[in-house]
Amino acid sequence: MRRYFLFFTLFFISFSAQAAPFAKLHQADFANGARLIVEEDHSAPVAIVQIWLKIGGRDEVPGKTGLAHVFEHMMFKGSKHLAAGEFSHRIAAMGGNDNAFTSHDYTAYFEIIPAAKVDEVLAMEAERFANLSLRKNDFAKEIRVIQEERRMRTDDDPNSRMFEELSSVALRLHPYREPVIGWMQDLKKLKIDDVRAFYKAHYIPGNVTVVVVGDVDFADVKKTVARTFGKLKKRVVTARFNPVEPEPIGPKRMQAMLPAQLPMLAVTMPVPVWHPGKNDTQAAALAVATEILAGGRAAVLNREIVDRQRKAFATAAGYDPFSMGIDLWYAYGMLGPKQTTAGFENALWATIEHLRDNGPKVAQLASAKRRMIADEVFAQDSLYMRAKQIGMMESVGIGADKRDAWLAAIRKVSAKDVQKVLARWITRQRATTGILQPETHS
Amino acid sequence: MKCMLKLTAALFLYTFITPAAQAIPVIEQAQLANGLRVLLMQAHNVPMVSMRLTVPAGSRLDAPEKGGTASLLASMLTDHTAKQDYVAWADMLDAQAIRLGSGASRDSLSLSLTVLKEALGEGVDAFSEAALNPGWSKKRFALLRRDAVSSAQKSLEEPGVRAAEETAAVLYPAHGYGHRSGGSVASLSRIKLRDLQMLYARQFKPQGAVLAVSGDVTMKELLALIRPRFAGWKGAPEVTLKATPEPETTTPKNKHISMPTRQMTVQLSRLGPSRYDKAFFANMLLNHILGGGGFSSKLMGEVREQRGLAYGVYSYFIPLAVSGPFVISLQTRADQAGEALAVVQNVMRDMYAGKITKVDLDAAKANLTGGFAHRLDSNGKRVGLMSMIGFYGMPLDYLAVWGERINAVTLAEVKAEAKRFLAPKEWHIIEAGPIKGE
Repeated sequence: MRRYFLFFTLFFISFSAQAAPFAKLHQADFANGARLIVEEDHSAPVAIVQIWLKIGGRDEVPGKTGLAHVFEHMMFKGSKHLAAGEFSHRIAAMGGNDNAFTSHDYTAYFEIIPAAKVDEVLAMEAERFANLSLRKNDFAKEIRVIQEERRMRTDDDPNSRMFEELSSVALRLHPYREPVIGWMQDLKKLKIDDVRAFYKAHYIPGNVTVVVVGDVDFADVKKTVARTFGKLKKRVVTARFNPVEPEPIGPKRMQAMLPAQLPMLAVTMPVPVWHPGKNDTQAAALAVATEILAGGRAAVLNREIVDRQRKAFATAAGYDPFSMGIDLWYAYGMLGPKQTTAGFENALWATIEHLRDNGPKVAQLASAKRRMIADEVFAQDSLYMRAKQIGMMESVGIGADKRDAWLAAIRKVSAKDVQKVLARWITRQRATTGILQPETHS
Repeated sequence: MKCMLKLTAALFLYTFITPAAQAIPVIEQAQLANGLRVLLMQAHNVPMVSMRLTVPAGSRLDAPEKGGTASLLASMLTDHTAKQDYVAWADMLDAQAIRLGSGASRDSLSLSLTVLKEALGEGVDAFSEAALNPGWSKKRFALLRRDAVSSAQKSLEEPGVRAAEETAAVLYPAHGYGHRSGGSVASLSRIKLRDLQMLYARQFKPQGAVLAVSGDVTMKELLALIRPRFAGWKGAPEVTLKATPEPETTTPKNKHISMPTRQMTVQLSRLGPSRYDKAFFANMLLNHILGGGGFSSKLMGEVREQRGLAYGVYSYFIPLAVSGPFVISLQTRADQAGEALAVVQNVMRDMYAGKITKVDLDAAKANLTGGFAHRLDSNGKRVGLMSMIGFYGMPLDYLAVWGERINAVTLAEVKAEAKRFLAPKEWHIIEAGPIKGE
């Protein structure tokens, strides 16, 4: 018993919700541009390894959407020293789980493993990164799997399909207008040569951030990364596609006629993301405003529109300050059989404009901030979430060392700041509105 | 109302379960005089506490034609209380960053709490108020029910929901497991507030209930908070978990649900093992090899890796108080559904015929035992495991011997379970998607 408690308490990370909830980050940069970030947590003998790439949907060219995500599949199809499927089999044999995810801004590969296996996994990751096979036959099979993935996630899901279309209508230039999974038309035309060219251009050490969180020692991991990812040949990193989205010149609307059961109405508009030291108040105020509108049990949209006015049966809103260039702020309502899109749309804007004109109450503002900070504490309970936050902030160019600064910015947001960002950014004039309209059969 | 406690000594302290020597966290146990069992795993690395109260008021007790009763009761309990209307209640929870949740599954209804250590007292206050002082507002009930009906209608857009609904119906035509816990448009519409009150009055009792807790708290601190708040709660449920009737095996059926989708969802099902099955660990390994082990499973290998027929194909069984569902599911472009089904049935037939190797078994054992620490690496996961252990009456050394049990399973035992479960002709087949030729 004594020994057990030693295990759990000796490495107690001391923080309270008042102080920053984050453990110390250790960082190492290698001559070829690869970076390592480690957060030690010795509370259980497990670790998560995540290999982040500053490569995603935004790095594709027109006609070849979906290419970045193809790697999420092909990376498991073999390399010089690992047969097809062997990577996952070896991870499974050590009791681990592995997978990957892709966004517009990044691609990440991860393994949750016993901590003793971290060295072996980092060597395997570097090997497939450097020597991917990319065989034509494997690609031919895998692109079919990807098409099934698109059918499942998007084509056969009316809500997803509507949001895909809405993003495309809302944006003129920014790559968030293209779906990460790719348009089906493009998926049917992609060739193995496209995949090989993308690999050669983008899978280079300067795009890599290795993140390890768990029961490891930074000095050990640094040595391992130095002789794996750190040894890869240096290659030139090109600037990423990040155009300035033109300011909307008026409201836009679209309708998606799909085989849905019930209608949905969503609004979206480009808003600024966080640039540390440059727009702290603005980005934090957008986040706080969104939390007041859609976070917690007392979320304003829900209370006003679902509980009081009965114009929808569910509402939501979202803002991601850790995107690249812009974020697409959104709000939507799910409508019941007797609820109308017009009724919801009016209620949505009236609720947002009421908050804009009157500002949040003192208690409302304090409550939102406390929840946002508490959520950061709760997130520390998951190794996966911790590693993901670090990798994401690195990959979009904010920097994982800015986590404390973000919480500081949230604490400083005033009621006036909330009013100001709503007035400037969340307006009818800037919005693209999408309506999911159930198809009617005659 | 004196709350004497039997503080049982922790049963397993520091054990080695695999050659890799993993520490098993201690489960501390206490029992309040009213019968409520309290299980705790301390973890002081994050200043937070998670807990879950589980009572035998699951959806299997929903009256016939009133599926969704337990689920609506769960929503009502966290929506408001006898002391606070929904507005004051939500404002109070939000201000303290108290995350309160609830839900119903087939066997149980649960309330859950996640809270900062610094707000633990307020959190336990709210948690006990939600559990023990229901508000029964008629107006809120009407509203929650209407929104649940809309939500149920919206969910009919999902082929997985349609297939799950039909699977439950064919597996359990005369049993409380025969509907989805959330209910359907028709069944939710029939539920009255009185149905919720009756379920609560009969089943929401401390005896047979379990409070599982994980986080930055000691048993002493925890009991000091729990005892005064839960002491007045008394009684035993009318229907215990043990009284759950065993379902009868039904004749396998093939059904097609017409949906305007591009893919066909193909779902095979049969009755599977219960939580108390003598061969439980052999079943776990069998399922892992079949389709539970992700990319290392046979189904994933044959359907996706070899043929590119599906993005996802998997199998699982839900171990309940009695035989739960054993399910195999995949989605594929509608014109490939027949081919994909044939591949699945071939895999089943081969395993049924004994084509399972020592290599397959050893790989499954290695993955399951090696991943054990990961099953326990967050407060949420620990609370989930302890709730299961406590609610189903598993021995407190369940986690300590888990790895040994897995490793003790022989190839012959797994083959015997394959013979027991994997004859393709014994499985129902539900398909949701376009009608052929459409």
